[in-house]
Amino acid sequence: MTETEGYVDQAVMGIAEPQPMYKALRESTPVFRSPQDVIVLSRLADIEMALKHTELFSSNMDAVDLGNIRPLIPLQVDPPEHAKYRRILDPLFTPREMARREPGVTELVNEMIDRFADRGECDFHEEFAVPLPCTVFLQLLGLPLEDLDKFLEWKDGVIRPEGDFSFARRHETSAPVAQQIYEYFERAIDDHIASPRDDVLSAMISANFKKEGAQPLSREELLDICFLFLIAGLDTVTDSLDCFFVYLARHPDHRHQLIEQPDILPTAIEELLRWETPVPGVARVAMQDVEVGGCPISKGERVSPLLGAANTDPAEFPDPDVVDFNRNPNRHRAFGGGPHRCLGSHLARMELRVALREFHRRIPDYEIKPGTQLTYTAALRSVESLPLIFPVPTL
Amino acid sequence: MTRVWIDADRCTGHGRCYTLAPDVFDADEVGHSIVLVREVSGELEQHAVAGEQNCPEQAITLSQ
Repeated sequence: MTETEGYVDQAVMGIAEPQPMYKALRESTPVFRSPQDVIVLSRLADIEMALKHTELFSSNMDAVDLGNIRPLIPLQVDPPEHAKYRRILDPLFTPREMARREPGVTELVNEMIDRFADRGECDFHEEFAVPLPCTVFLQLLGLPLEDLDKFLEWKDGVIRPEGDFSFARRHETSAPVAQQIYEYFERAIDDHIASPRDDVLSAMISANFKKEGAQPLSREELLDICFLFLIAGLDTVTDSLDCFFVYLARHPDHRHQLIEQPDILPTAIEELLRWETPVPGVARVAMQDVEVGGCPISKGERVSPLLGAANTDPAEFPDPDVVDFNRNPNRHRAFGGGPHRCLGSHLARMELRVALREFHRRIPDYEIKPGTQLTYTAALRSVESLPLIFPVPTL
Repeated sequence: MTRVWIDADRCTGHGRCYTLAPDVFDADEVGHSIVLVREVSGELEQHAVAGEQNCPEQAITLSQ
């Protein structure tokens, strides 16, 4: 498990089309020690095993450092303690609960499109993919919409810190931003205790109060959940929107399918999640000496199950390089799996469904502005800028 | 008739089965899957198969 030519650590540098690299890894070194000393897993079977067995491959604070001073909840807490938090949080993010929010998100999406529809062009990343999930998040948690810019600065500050973000120095680089995030949510929690309302933060504060013998979440636990939400809920949907619209701009036949057969949208979203895998990998740490695919991994070593590679593994997906909006079955792992299955997956699906439906209803034809060089970001797959041009819709 | 089983220990709430086959599966209050119709045939069986094949945790079993 040594050399794989052309390996790119997406934690350090983004790439436009990672699928050929996933294939090369799977075929040559499916358990690969990267130059950054991370063990990269690229076979679906190994990835699935690692995601399920949290007692071997933990998601605790040693796996990734985002400047936080306590474990992020629930990501950095493993079973069995983890179950307590998911029992409180899962009901707030079910498909049904998200459907309740769908009309509000539809309105929001249309307001955003209104701002550029008559212009015949937009920076899709800047004007749509970034503000949409962030605004939805503020509404969901019941936070003031004028805090949008502050949030964007903070999430970039911890996900893509400027300066030294090697693993060893990562904490120092992110810690000052993390401190601001803790302080902000301290005040938000005070405010929600004083005046509860119909939002996720109020629901978390009151969770378990009604159940006999159950403990409410402590202030620190609430803070550690809010911190994680900020990291997990904003960037990931931006990444998905960027990846999807680049794909659809470049593949008009696929785009036309969405316009001619709107019912195909839910399976199309699953297929785009599979193919693009906007969150290309997750972080784990080995809890004991263990062997995967005949390769020894030592206790304490960092392990990266590459979700994008799992999603293009021919062992599970026939013709994995074909993007088929009718693909069935499609057991993709874009939201991970096992106990840490993405808590916000149904929120993400709802946002993506509304965004793709409304955008294509109003702007069915668009292309990337000629001459544009797309730059994919590290860590999570967004693009720095996505200029689209389109005919101005006539009434 | 085909029997539909869910292994509650494997289900982590991806929600694929009750989204694709809402006449066979449903969600409990945390969004984990429950079986609505234990024995299926014909069209319902086809729906149950879609749920089973799309479960990322392989938590669903169909048996004759």
